[in-house]
Amino acid sequence: MNKLISLENVSKRYRRGSEEVHALDGVSLDIAEGDLIAICGPSGSGKTTLLNIAGCMDHASRGVVRIRGEALDHGGERRLAEIRQSLIGFVFQQFFLIPTLTVEENVELPLLFSHHKADPQRTSALLERVGLAHRRRHLPGQLSGGEMQRVAVARSLINEPKVVLADEPTGNLDSRNSAAVVELFESLNRTGIAVVLVTHNPDLAARCRKVVHLEDGKVVA
Amino acid sequence: MKLLRLAVNNIRRTPMRAMLTGASVLIAAATLSVVLALDRGYAGAVRSELVDKTGVHLYITKENCPIEAASVVAQGGLSPLYVEQSLVAVAESTEGVAAALPFQLFAETTTDGSRTDIFMGITDAIRNVRPDWVIEKGGWFEDGDSVILGAQIAQIELAKVGDRLYSEKLDKEFKVAGILRKSYSQDDGIIFLPLATAQRLVKREGRLSAIAVKLNDVGRMQEVTTQLRGRISQDYSVIGAKELSEGVLGFFAATRMIMFVMVGVAFGVSVFGIVNTMLMVVMERRREIAYLKCVGARRADVLRLITLETLVICLLGGIGGILAGAAVTPMAGTLLRGTLVGYVPAGSIASPSADIALLSLSVAVVAGVVCALYPAWKAASIVPMEVLRNE
Repeated sequence: MNKLISLENVSKRYRRGSEEVHALDGVSLDIAEGDLIAICGPSGSGKTTLLNIAGCMDHASRGVVRIRGEALDHGGERRLAEIRQSLIGFVFQQFFLIPTLTVEENVELPLLFSHHKADPQRTSALLERVGLAHRRRHLPGQLSGGEMQRVAVARSLINEPKVVLADEPTGNLDSRNSAAVVELFESLNRTGIAVVLVTHNPDLAARCRKVVHLEDGKVVA
Repeated sequence: MKLLRLAVNNIRRTPMRAMLTGASVLIAAATLSVVLALDRGYAGAVRSELVDKTGVHLYITKENCPIEAASVVAQGGLSPLYVEQSLVAVAESTEGVAAALPFQLFAETTTDGSRTDIFMGITDAIRNVRPDWVIEKGGWFEDGDSVILGAQIAQIELAKVGDRLYSEKLDKEFKVAGILRKSYSQDDGIIFLPLATAQRLVKREGRLSAIAVKLNDVGRMQEVTTQLRGRISQDYSVIGAKELSEGVLGFFAATRMIMFVMVGVAFGVSVFGIVNTMLMVVMERRREIAYLKCVGARRADVLRLITLETLVICLLGGIGGILAGAAVTPMAGTLLRGTLVGYVPAGSIASPSADIALLSLSVAVVAGVVCALYPAWKAASIVPMEVLRNE
């Protein structure tokens, strides 16, 4: 399998007020095409930090991050933005949908920054895929939590990413909606898209092919 | 989707706040357009009335400020300054002078202060000096007790030729000999009477308020002015009508300054309001902006988005402002007319125009861009990780 993102001996330190936080300590992780990875661990173990460094949203304090083999040497903002636009889709616990934009417009939002023209057929196909084609003209306020998260998943796919990074994607959902979202991620994965899930949920982690356990910023299993 | 559409949608999320911010821009833009319209309108009306319409090229007045003297008359009084009537002959005999009009100006206010009538004693030289001074009904003075009324005063008094008018303050009855054609100048509100009668009524026989001079050739104004100055005592001034209008406008300078300070205050309040609003917007949407950066928005994209949101508010406020300004300007003109001290032209002193509207709108938009800079920079500087980690 082709490696998409490689983290080699990555450490991350940052300051929170007067306290220095050692969020990651010598973590290595490979994300390849078709992977389905769960990152688990208690709060404060460095899960989100790991996801953000892998997602080119944050720099490592030490170690090397490679994107398709190319080492990121604290590249400029433009380069990181380009990588995020072309390679990575993000899904968060909070859905971050713009309340005044319709479902369809929210899905197309990332195209605004990648300067690609919206393709109505692709948007329709994505909404079809997440089961919300009939809700395309609705506003986020008219949707349930599960539906909003499915819109967020569709939005993460609009730029045709190779990997989707999801931070606690079911954290705000009930069990029924959680199951629907997890099934959605699994179906994405079956099409070859790598999916990395940060989760506290052991059931969700159990459905992934690879599980990374973090504790105090270190991989323990 | 376009960035503009996203900006408009973001504004719609807090409509009341956007409306209030837009209203502050509206007030500032309206104030600017009204003040510019009044400033230009007053200057235009003064120049038109004193320079373009009258046909008078020079005035011979007593040394001192003729405008101050005019304002004394306008308030209902008699200027303490005067010119000896013997100077009329000197003026008439000066080479290059076509005609010289001696006049005596005074005003009488009724005992209850409710009304001030302005009287002007003239000779028939007015026909040669003032081509715009035309009798529409009736004719020239029949005797010392007859008057010619300006069009507006005749209308107010419902006076016809042959009617009799009683002046309470002068305790005198006048017969209306003629009524002037409407000139949209101060003449419309003046009661003209024979010079000798006017001098007798104010006990200034042989003395004048000033002498209006018309030249054969305006191109020789400097030369004739020098000649006249050489032929009369240094106690008198020879001033051009244009100079006089500039002097009147100088008197308006303080009012003008106050008006522009008002504009400055309105824009100052508006600017602080916009900056405050946009900073709040940025603070409230930190996580969302962080997310936009996650999906590929660069600093420049965020900068443009916040600037666009500010611009849309300022543009709408500015358009509302120039419309409100156009509606309010005539009322503001009337209000200013009532409060002006000194020379008040008879015509409209409010002159709204497309270029003033455009200028006001441009200032509102430029102010918007300036206001957007700091909040937009704050938004663009958001580090997604820090926001998502700490909030």
